[in-house]
Order: sequence, then C-alpha cells, then structure tokens
Amino acid sequence: MLKLRNVKKSFDGTPVLKDISLDIEDGEIVSILGPSGCGKTTLLNLILGIVDADGGQIIYNEEDLTRVPMEKRGFNIVFQDYALFPNLNVYQNITYGLRNNPEISSREEVEDLIHLLGLEEHLNKRIGMLSGGQKQRVALARTMVMKPKILLLDEPLSALDGVIKESIKDRIKTIAQEYHLTTIIVTHDPEEALTLSDRVMIINDGEIAQFGKPEEIIAKPENGFVKKFILNQLEIKKNNIYTLFAGQLQEQAQVC
Amino acid sequence: MRKNREIKLIFTLLAVFFAGFLAVPMISVLVRSFTGDGTAFSLSHYVEVLTGRGFLRALWNSILISVCSAFLTTVLAFILAYTIHYTNTGKRYKWLISKAAILPMLLPTITYGFAIIYSFGKQGLLTRLFGRQLFDIYGFNGLLLGYVAYTLPIAFTLINNAMGYIDKRFMIVSRLMGDSPLQTFRMTILIPLLGTLATAFIQTFFLCFTDFGIPASVGGQFEVVASVLYTEMLGSVPNFGNGAVVALIMIIPSVVSITVLHILEKYNVRYNKISPIELKKGVKRDVAFSILSGAILICTLSMFLVMFIVPFIEEWPYRMSFTLEHVQAVFEDSQLYGVYINSVMVAVLTALAGTILSYGGALVTARSTVSGKLKKVIDSIALVTNTIPGMVIGLAYLFVFTGTPLQNTFPIIIICNIVHFFSTPYLMMKNSLSKMNASWETTAMLMGDNWIKTIVRVVTPNAMSTLLEVFSYYFVNAMVTVSAVIFIAGTRTMVITTKIKELQYFNEFNEIFVLSLLILFTNLIARALFRKLAAVSERRQNTAKIYRFSAKKAA
Repeated sequence: MLKLRNVKKSFDGTPVLKDISLDIEDGEIVSILGPSGCGKTTLLNLILGIVDADGGQIIYNEEDLTRVPMEKRGFNIVFQDYALFPNLNVYQNITYGLRNNPEISSREEVEDLIHLLGLEEHLNKRIGMLSGGQKQRVALARTMVMKPKILLLDEPLSALDGVIKESIKDRIKTIAQEYHLTTIIVTHDPEEALTLSDRVMIINDGEIAQFGKPEEIIAKPENGFVKKFILNQLEIKKNNIYTLFAGQLQEQAQVC
Repeated sequence: MRKNREIKLIFTLLAVFFAGFLAVPMISVLVRSFTGDGTAFSLSHYVEVLTGRGFLRALWNSILISVCSAFLTTVLAFILAYTIHYTNTGKRYKWLISKAAILPMLLPTITYGFAIIYSFGKQGLLTRLFGRQLFDIYGFNGLLLGYVAYTLPIAFTLINNAMGYIDKRFMIVSRLMGDSPLQTFRMTILIPLLGTLATAFIQTFFLCFTDFGIPASVGGQFEVVASVLYTEMLGSVPNFGNGAVVALIMIIPSVVSITVLHILEKYNVRYNKISPIELKKGVKRDVAFSILSGAILICTLSMFLVMFIVPFIEEWPYRMSFTLEHVQAVFEDSQLYGVYINSVMVAVLTALAGTILSYGGALVTARSTVSGKLKKVIDSIALVTNTIPGMVIGLAYLFVFTGTPLQNTFPIIIICNIVHFFSTPYLMMKNSLSKMNASWETTAMLMGDNWIKTIVRVVTPNAMSTLLEVFSYYFVNAMVTVSAVIFIAGTRTMVITTKIKELQYFNEFNEIFVLSLLILFTNLIARALFRKLAAVSERRQNTAKIYRFSAKKAA
C-alpha cells in the first residue's frame, strides 16, 4: 500500500502541492485528474522520486521512502512521449534494463509481455518507424520488464487517436489485472480517468478536490470545482453523443 | 512564365557573381599549378613541391598539430558545455562561462601569437609572474596553445547548442532501468552527442590546418603548410607554380573533412521534445566541473591579459610605469588610424553586401518553387566556399586580378571576405526562412501584393533577427580575418590584420596590441549592438504572436 502523508512542494516560493495525504491499495488503478498547472505532474514526480518533497512522508508497505533515491524505490514510469532510445531497436529497448539486471525477468516473462502487448512483428524495427500506439506499447513493455512495484503513466493516451486510445486503455487494464500491479495515471481528460481507473483523484490548485470511485464522483460531486469542470465536460460529451444517436435511441425505446 | 521571374533574376546574379569570383579564380589556381609562370603544361611544380623535403615535413607537422589541437579542444569544449548543462552550478557562473568561452573569437588569430610571446616568452607577463618560463613557446607548444584558444569558441558553440537539444528525461529512464552512472553518461549524453563531437573535432581540425595567423607569429622552426604557402608566394623568391600546388594540397583535407561532416549529419540523433528536468544532486560533481571550467577559461584567457597591460606601459619590461603614450601615438599616426578606419569600412561593407547576397541565395532555396537543380547549384556554392581555405581564395584572387583595375582595391578585399565566409550566413538564412509559414507568399499575393512587396512587408520583417545575426557574423569575421586578405591587401588598402603582419617585422608590439584592442572593442560593441537590435525585433515578433494568442483565448 502506498501512503502519502501531508506532502508539500513549492517551486521558487510558489506552493504547487499543499498538504497532500492519500492511500492507494495494492493492485488498484488510480487516476490523478486535473487541469494543467494543478500540480498533478509534480505529484507524479514526487512519488517517482524525480523531485524531493519539501515536507511530509511517502510510505510504501510501511517503509518510509521520502529520502530514498529514485532508482532505489522500485517504481517506474512511462513518459507521455515515451522516451524510447532512438539509437536502439524495439527489442533492444524492451530488454534495456536486463543488461543491468539479467535476473529481473526471465526469457519467458519477456516473451509473454511481448505477446500480451502484440509486439512480436515489430521487434527488429527502429523506433522512428513505429506509430504512436506502437511506441506506447514498447515503452510499456520496457517498463514492465523491470517489474515495478508501482507503474506510473504520464498522460498515456493524450498522444494517441481514436480507436488506438481504446485499445491501449484495455491493455493497461489487462496488465494491471494480470500482474496485480498498482498503477497511477496522470491525465487531464475526465472521460479517460473515469473509464480507466478504479478510483479517481481530482486535484485543483495543489489540493485534492475529491478522491473516490468513478460512480461516486458522478453521483456525489463534493464541490463546485468537480461539478463545474469535470461533470460539466462529461455532460456536454454525453449530450453530443445522445444527439448523434437520437434516431437509434428512439427506435430502441419503441422496441421496449 | 511570370512566376519566379524575380527569383530567377536573383539566381542569375548569384551565379554570375560566384562564377566570376569563385569558379574562375579556383580554375586559375589549378591551371597555374601545371603551368607556373609560363604557358607550358608540366608536372614539374608538383614534383618540385612533393620531393622537396621541407614540404612533406610541413604537411606532416600540420596534420599532427591539427589533430592534437582538435582533440584537446573538443575535450575542453565538452567539459565547458557539460558544466553548463549537467551541473547545478549557479546561473550567473554558467552565464559567465558561456560568454567567456567565445571571447577569443573576437580577435584576429595573428594577435594570439603575439599574446603568447608576451605572456610565456622569456620576458613575458606570465613568465614573470611564475618566475620562470613554463615551456618553449616557439613551435609545437605555442601552436597548440594558440590553436586551442582559437578553436575553443567554435567547438564550444557547437557542443553547447547540441547539448541544449538533448532530451534530459532519458537520464531518468536510464537510471530507472538500473544503469550505473557511467552507463547513463554513455547512453544519454555521449551517444546522442557523438555526431556533434565528431563535427567539432573535424571543424577544429580544419580551422587549425588552414590558419595562417598563429604559425606566422609562433611557428618558429615548426613549418606548417600555411607558412610554406606564404613563403612560396611572398617570400624572397616567389614561385607561383609551387604556391598553386601547395594551395591545392591544402584543399584536400578540407574537402575530406567537409565530406565527412556531410555524412555525419545523418547520424545526429534528433529528439521530438526537450524536457527540462531537475538534475540529480551532486555537490562533488558540481564543484569539480566548476573548478575545471574556471581553470580552462583562466588558462585560455590569461594569455590575452598581456594585451591590456603592455601597451599601457612605457617600455616593457624595463620601464614599468603607466602611460597612455602608445595609445595616443596610434591615434595620432594618421597611417595607423587610417588602417583602423579601412578595417571598419571593409567590415561594414562586407557585412552589408554579404547579408544581401546570402539573403538572396536563401530566398531562392527556401522560399521559391524553382527547380531543384537551381537550388542545388546554390547549395553547392555554399558547400564549396566552406571547403576552400581563406588563404587559397586570396591566392586565387592574386592570380586572376593582378593587372586588372581590381588589383589592390577595397572591392576585391570585400568580395574575397564575402565569398570566404558565405557558407555559414547562407545556412543561417536558409534555416530561418524555411521555418516560416510556407503560404505567406501565396496569401500576400492573393491580397494583391507583388513578390517584392511580399518580401519587403512580410518575409523581411520576420527574418530581421536572423538578418542582423548574419550581419554581425560577417562584420566580426571581416574584422578578424587575416588568411584571406594577406595576399590581396595593397599598401593603400591595408586593413588592421595585414598591418599587424607588417608591424611584426619591426617588432612594434605596442602598436600590434593597441590595434588588437581596437578590433576587440569594435567587435564587442558591434556584437552587443546587433544582439540588442535582434532582441528588439525578436520581441516585436513575439509580442505580435502573444497578442494574437491571447485574442484567440479571449474569444
């Protein structure tokens, strides 16, 4: 279980995160949702260990990680633009971490991952030849090979279009289930957050606006911000979809 | 067809210009290498040069010293750039490094040698400070020191820019994957930079190999190709045929290095996005690199210290009291003062004409739909001017324009500078123009502008900051160049750098340093001025953008 206790962070005197406390259960998919500049990326960087907290504690399985350096925490991340090494091919990227720790994943485990993410046919390709969705899957595989205790995903879907988006969503869910992996996703898209995760944490202005299951957030928005910015957006989308499918819905209603 | 008429006119003008001032002169060097002063065709000059023991020795010396200098410079420049990009050293200190590292660029190389003599020579400033002579300055050591100081700014600029374009987030990935610090360094800094490091090495090699100013003053018995060429042409027994052969041999390494650079360009790693990160804390690293960088810069810049001291002392090193006598003497000597005015005039006119020429060339290649062949011609011209050392161009002009009304005139010096430095300004212009929105001309034409109006009203204002940069590049280089003008400046058309070469015979070091200081301050002022102007025009462009953006947001 990951616990944050009263975590604070300021940049040049401007507070970015004010007193954040939260618990995340093992195997849970949690989305951190908020507008740009709300502090969600900083929160991700704090958990990963790229930046140090000014105050408070980060605890994982009763161990205080607040002052533990990034590479010793055992967490890992897939960046928004994937950060794949352009001078290596797909397979070399996926197995990059094994050069340093060969025992971390077995041959079969790597092959399973490649199969699960559907990357068999791309293994010898150079990174520049891949599409966005393929890059995302390679980056995911490269990170999973390291068997992270927590998987962090920074805007995993924002660079992808339409159908690919949905299929990557499924892959992320499958991986989290298959490996019973705690997954933390940063996103600015309410639809993405609410359809992908077990629980959603909405951040506004460095503070947690609401942290709960998707249905709770829809049913009981706790404050004006959640209502105005999160639900409103979904409402507009819903209405657009209803208008599009108006004919079909009427037919269905008549059948019933 | 009406379309492209103006572009084709520009192209024709450029083609004629370079045919006359690049192709014809170069061909004449080739012809001279076979015929010498007569008309008979023979290989005798090649035989004479290549079998003369001195020349092969000089060639070997040139290669040796250039490789050593290039290697050392690349390593030092890397350390400086690393300090700026990969340590948590204070911002001010980083700023200081980036400014101090490029200072020597504002001085002619011929001054470097005299600065070395007066710093490390028997009676030199630093020799006196340390109480003993640190090393023998004439020959290899002096050349190495001079070349490193000369090429460090260029290597530093190259590596520093490239490091700015490395996505530093890869360091996080590498650390998360369990790489050791050394592996992280290799994977996220060294490999992405390989192409740039090779470029820096080759570029500095090329500069050392073709420079004339430094060996002219501290070469001593260590003969290099440039000094051989000078003696063949302007020595006691000039031999034009042999000179032409030496010049052609001088081009070979340049052609090889430029070809390699061209190939390397493809291997440069490009990142889609640059993400700033917080660097890992490392106090030891920060302190070590700050000290190292400081030491490198102090060592390179300390040899120029003497320039600021010697001219203000009555008689170095015997009568050590302060005086402004020497400075006054230069300003009162109408001949020396006149030389300064000549230099500034040549530099301004070079910059003006050069900027227009490179702008024209870039308009053809970056903003027109003329056939690829024409564009290729311009690109090749730029490539060729990049490969030909200044001394060789000067020599070629000597062959072709001696006896014509152009001989020993300012126009020929100006044209020589324009051709010699054409490559970089052209590429700067082309790069900037090709980044602009491709539909501007069409849009403006639909609104009723003709081509010239579009260029004046839309393209030029948006290219203003680059135009100013190009102007400043031409100006500074025209002020400091010695190799390109040494053969073509006459007694009435002396510029500072050739005057310094002349003063060397009479050991007039006070005058040499005062003139060098004049160049330095002129360049500093010019650069500051153009920076300022460029910043103003950039800001104007940006505010226009921001305004548009906020208007969109409000809507």
